[in-house]
Amino acid sequence: MDVNKVLDAKGLACPMPIVKTKKEMTTLEAGQVMEIQATDKGSTADLKAWAESTGNQYLGTVEDGDVLKHYLRKATPEEEKEEAKHPDVVNLGDLQKKIAGEEKITILDVREPAEYAFGHIPGAVNIPLGELEKRFEELNQDDELHIICRTGSRSDLAAQKLTEKGFKNVKNVVPGMKEWTGDLNKNH
Amino acid sequence: MKVAIIAANSGMFDAYKVFNIATAAAATDAEVGIFFTFEGLNLIHKEAHKNLPMPAGTEHFQEGFKKANVPPVEELVGMAADLGVKMIACQMTMDVMSLEKEQFIEGIDVGGAVTFLTFAKDADVTLTF
Repeated sequence: MDVNKVLDAKGLACPMPIVKTKKEMTTLEAGQVMEIQATDKGSTADLKAWAESTGNQYLGTVEDGDVLKHYLRKATPEEEKEEAKHPDVVNLGDLQKKIAGEEKITILDVREPAEYAFGHIPGAVNIPLGELEKRFEELNQDDELHIICRTGSRSDLAAQKLTEKGFKNVKNVVPGMKEWTGDLNKNH
Repeated sequence: MKVAIIAANSGMFDAYKVFNIATAAAATDAEVGIFFTFEGLNLIHKEAHKNLPMPAGTEHFQEGFKKANVPPVEELVGMAADLGVKMIACQMTMDVMSLEKEQFIEGIDVGGAVTFLTFAKDADVTLTF
């Protein structure tokens, strides 16, 4: 999986995986994703709780033989604010209705690849916000574009950016994947 | 989160109970303070904490500690200090046992009961080991 940093905490007992994670996390920039490899069976519950207490985002865990690979994203307090500047917004219920309808719609998921891997709306296209500048041409300007992230904050920035680039039919989906209750696809 | 711990025993198991909770809490951005009193003082004594006794009849767990790759107490204490855990040695016990501050690891504070109580009065979690 595409991550910004890999931490090897294999063979370490509690509380070492947490202590190491805490240290490594300080070297990450906000929004970046870290993979923590551990063999301590308690580390799944511990890292989940740690992320919750420290305001970071626990994405999920993949078992690879004896090794547990945990994915954490360094969250920022700003993105919890849900401050939307892009005027055209659509809520999750309306998005669900549109997906169920006949009309063809495009969903753009601007979260990090690891976040996308642990659960996204079926058919959603993944271009992380940080890559949008150089990849926006992969999208069709005439499509009705529904942009989603976790809380509505990154997708708001993406909607503004694409509007600047000349996209005419861009909608920000609020609040985002953290409250999505519809179908999910996973690819990890 | 604020965590206040009293360490009053000096077995090897006691050391792990105290320092595992303390380092885990500090790594989770908690403010942590430990008050070392009576036998608990051994956990931060420069020499004593390198060779703490296992409870009688549990010596065979020595192997398990190695297998689980549990760091030595000495290392955990250093980690706790690095993470900013506040360690207070009990003045009264030190006087009774004729111990000096120099015999303890670097960076500890020496204080009385009120020093700890003042730290602990608004703690979210209070533990005694």
